[in-house]
Amino acid sequence: MLEVDQITTRYGAITALHSASLEVRAGELVALVGPNGAGKTTLLNTVAGLLRPATGSIRFEGNDITGTEPARLVRAGLALVPEHRRIFKDLTVEENLRLGGSTASAHDRRERLEEAADLFPVLRTKWTTSAGYLSGGEAQQLAVARALMSNPRLLLLDEPTLGLAPTMVDVVFDLLQRLREQGRTLLVVEQNATRVLQLADRGYLLRTGNIVATGTGADLAADNSLFDSFIGLEAHGREA
Amino acid sequence: MSGVNAGLLRLTRSTLASAALVAIVAALAMAYTSGGGASRDSLIAEMLSNFILVLGMQVFIGNTGVLSFGHMAFAQIAAYATAVVGIPLAAKAKALPDIPFGLDSVHYGPLGATVFAIVVTIIIGGIFGIAVSRASGLAPTMITLAALFVVEQLVKNWKELTRGAGGLSGIPRLEGNGWLWVGAFVALVVAHLFQETRIGRFAIATREDELAAPALGIRLFSARWAAWVVSMGLIALGGSLRAQSLGSVNPKQFTLDSGILILVMLVVGGMRCVSGAVLGTVLITAGNELFRQLGDPQRLDIERFPDLFLGGTMLLVMLLRPGGLLGDRDLAGWLRRRTYRRPPPTGEEPRAGSNTLVAAEIEVHFGGFVALDGAGVTVRPGEVVGLIGPNGAGKTTLFNVITGIVHEQGGRVTLGDRELTDAKPVDIARAGLARTFQNLRLFKNLSVRENVTLTELVAARHRSHRVRPDADTLLADAGLTEWADRQAGTLDYGNQRRLELARAAALAPDFLLLDEPTSGMSDQESQAMVESVRSVATRVGAGVLVIDHDLGFITRISDHIVVLNEGRILAEGTPAAVRANPLVAEAYLGSSA
Amino acid sequence: MTKLIQTIVDGLGVGSTYALLALGISLIFGVMHLVNFAHGELITVGAYASYFFFLHGGSWWWMPFVIIGSAVLASVATELVAFRWVRNASPFTLLLTSFALERLSHALWQIFVSPKQRAFPKPAWVFNQFKVAGVSFEVMDVVTIAVTAATLALTAVVFKRTLFGISVRGAAEDFDAARLMGVRANRVISGAFAFAGLLAGVAACLILMRSPAAEPSMGSDWLLKAVIAAVIGGLGSFTGAVVGGLVLGLLETLTRAYLPELAVGWDKFSTAVVFVLIAVFFVIRPDGVFKVSHAERV
Repeated sequence: MLEVDQITTRYGAITALHSASLEVRAGELVALVGPNGAGKTTLLNTVAGLLRPATGSIRFEGNDITGTEPARLVRAGLALVPEHRRIFKDLTVEENLRLGGSTASAHDRRERLEEAADLFPVLRTKWTTSAGYLSGGEAQQLAVARALMSNPRLLLLDEPTLGLAPTMVDVVFDLLQRLREQGRTLLVVEQNATRVLQLADRGYLLRTGNIVATGTGADLAADNSLFDSFIGLEAHGREA
Repeated sequence: MSGVNAGLLRLTRSTLASAALVAIVAALAMAYTSGGGASRDSLIAEMLSNFILVLGMQVFIGNTGVLSFGHMAFAQIAAYATAVVGIPLAAKAKALPDIPFGLDSVHYGPLGATVFAIVVTIIIGGIFGIAVSRASGLAPTMITLAALFVVEQLVKNWKELTRGAGGLSGIPRLEGNGWLWVGAFVALVVAHLFQETRIGRFAIATREDELAAPALGIRLFSARWAAWVVSMGLIALGGSLRAQSLGSVNPKQFTLDSGILILVMLVVGGMRCVSGAVLGTVLITAGNELFRQLGDPQRLDIERFPDLFLGGTMLLVMLLRPGGLLGDRDLAGWLRRRTYRRPPPTGEEPRAGSNTLVAAEIEVHFGGFVALDGAGVTVRPGEVVGLIGPNGAGKTTLFNVITGIVHEQGGRVTLGDRELTDAKPVDIARAGLARTFQNLRLFKNLSVRENVTLTELVAARHRSHRVRPDADTLLADAGLTEWADRQAGTLDYGNQRRLELARAAALAPDFLLLDEPTSGMSDQESQAMVESVRSVATRVGAGVLVIDHDLGFITRISDHIVVLNEGRILAEGTPAAVRANPLVAEAYLGSSA
Repeated sequence: MTKLIQTIVDGLGVGSTYALLALGISLIFGVMHLVNFAHGELITVGAYASYFFFLHGGSWWWMPFVIIGSAVLASVATELVAFRWVRNASPFTLLLTSFALERLSHALWQIFVSPKQRAFPKPAWVFNQFKVAGVSFEVMDVVTIAVTAATLALTAVVFKRTLFGISVRGAAEDFDAARLMGVRANRVISGAFAFAGLLAGVAACLILMRSPAAEPSMGSDWLLKAVIAAVIGGLGSFTGAVVGGLVLGLLETLTRAYLPELAVGWDKFSTAVVFVLIAVFFVIRPDGVFKVSHAERV
């Protein structure tokens, strides 16, 4: 469904991603883990069209989408729940959701608003509240609900549990599970590596802009060297 | 003694650069006026007074990066001040019978009137400048705009002093353009010198980065205000000489429109450097005159084509070269680099400071979110402490509390016996904590060496008790010697990081606080960064507190590691002890719920 | 009492024109961090459009459409021709670009029409007076306040209810997040310019009904006041722009009306007093009444 082929992305003088490749097949939940600063967010932002890769290509459902505007990718069925959620704090919950469904027809938008309210009952109770007043967990649910308004076939999630209380972390993991059961394809960046790898079909480990390991979620989670890779103690032996 | 020598050198350099620029302009002017005609002389006179006004604006706008629309208001004050003391007593008694402040019996010659105008303008402008320099964002620009309206109405309606809309005439006129040339030369020397002085360098630093400058001990207000006052002096000189060159003043001479003309001259040439201001004045004056002649004199409207020229030129420059035609290519800057002599090494051996940095029991809430819940850190003299933890653990918040950017609701920060709780960034820097920034905040338009020497100027005043190695030694430690004269913004990423480190070390701090010095670096680069940090810190005898995501880097560089999680200290100890702690692994990888 | 009411009505009249212009400036600032000094030129465009419309036999019944239509087109055109190409430049560069456009606009009217004022007839009823409870009002006062109120209500509906309005508000808060929702950057910015043009067009109608004449630099004074109003309110805040405009209008008329009573001989300096107050305000609250924080743009 998604094929990322050797993309390199730079911010000015910084090369944040070195020739990274990964693949997500339809129906899979793929986890992307690695220490902070490894380039996970850069990778998702590049796929979603916010950043343009310097080299390499990205294909979505067979079409080349390298460097395509995010607005067109949303229409093509690919949505990103960005890092730090980035909900619109000055907008109400309903307005956030309507904006999320801006690419849908008015009829579909109305239907999906209802679905969102059913899927996230907590949002229904805050329908006309400014999103700035939501708690962290509510805001995260809004961010996911907002992305779902465009009915994406591939959903990218960037650190969905960041800054959440432990009970809310459970809620988010349940949500990931449910989205997968709905048949959506998910690519998830998550700091809680152990847990997301248990849930994932496959995982990739990213470090200083390079994919350094890949395997089924269970394999990666069971790998004793995961922590060492995280903190970079073994990296020098491994660096190409 | 060396201070006097350095001052002389600066004066010589500024004078040389000014003389060269004046010579070029004079050659052009002579070529033009040799074609004959008194109108050509008056165009030169107009250009010369513009020239002084442009330099006046350059000193403030160019150096601080704060846009002002109000400078013309102060040129107007100077012009009227010149008139009320310059017009002979008999004529004044007729034109202004009710003049206040006992001015009816005051009369000065041309020099006296000019000095009087400058003093009056600096006093009035200086008070106004306090408001301008205190505000931030767009507010200063709006305040200057307000100044323009206030002065405009005063000039039109305070008839006892200004005779209202008709203006004042009978100011003794200057013979020829000689004094205007002298004024232009003086203005050039002042503008050049200002960029070489301590406070002028600080003003430039605030323009380059409003956050980094205070973090290196530079006070925004005093740097901006100093630039404002010097700028007022030049503006007053320009306004006064223009009044004396024309022999009259009226409210239409110094309007917003004339101010915009001066502003266009400044931005077209390149506002950051004096040479740019000169080029802009010559080009726009010449172009304006050319387009004026293209206009149809039958239609009375000689202003039409110049407006087209002004708008068109400004639009093209903004679209194609927003830094102005010259950008940073400055004659004085070139001279400065050519005459650079490395100061002799002091030969002092570095000693570690004697103060311990303690942040204890810090509490910070953002709304309902608890960012820090009693976390703290202690760094002893010369020690390297690493601060780690998963995303959202509170590392950056703790760092921001120590450096004065975030205010804590509970807890204390002390350096030795000095209380730093709630202190401002600028005072924290002067007390001896120098920081770097996660997203790089260099003075991009300045050279690599200038980035470091700027901080040395702060250190000379506030850190004189510490060993202060010269800029080139620090650049050598950071591996930047060969790039010393490059513009900082053109360095590659790793070198920009190292430059930020050298710049912070030039403050001769007790502690260097490094915010993710290796983010975005490859493993080889971050390995090299370990060496850079160590040699630079040793050179100034500073301890180090470092946040980084790269635990490999942290474990290699630190003597002691503090692990934060959810706003609290999760573990601390030697790198080996922290690595072996199962709690740490869990914090990083998450528990398997 | 009568005087106070009349002064307040006058102040609201001027202030509402400032408010409409300030709202446009704040809107553009919100989506692209541009303080648009060319915004006042939309009034000039509207004025010349009316002038030519009259030359060709137009009447005041169609005038609002001509004025608003031309202002909208001109606003969108400035974005296409100039601002699009400096979209990611520093605020300083953006501001100077708009200044350049303002100069060019002056020059073009001077060259292609005339540097002199061109007048056209005003609607007959504008200065008719009527009395309510002993206080006399001009018809135009009522029209100004009613039209402004209706326009602001329409604006509120557009920004609260329509997808376009929500997109603009979202983009003003976090442009990249809005792009991730499928909002097209070019479209939302063009739309914001069109809407700002509409607001300026309405303001131009109100101004031209009172003084029906076109002059190359007529937009400048209005623009400066509107920018000040927008900054007083807090650039980027829509409520702030309206509040700032009304406050500035009221401050001006109240000072002009009551300063002579408070301080004899000071009536000549009412503008100076107003601007000193404004300067003091900016020292105390540099970010305006409603401070707006924006997400950093990547």
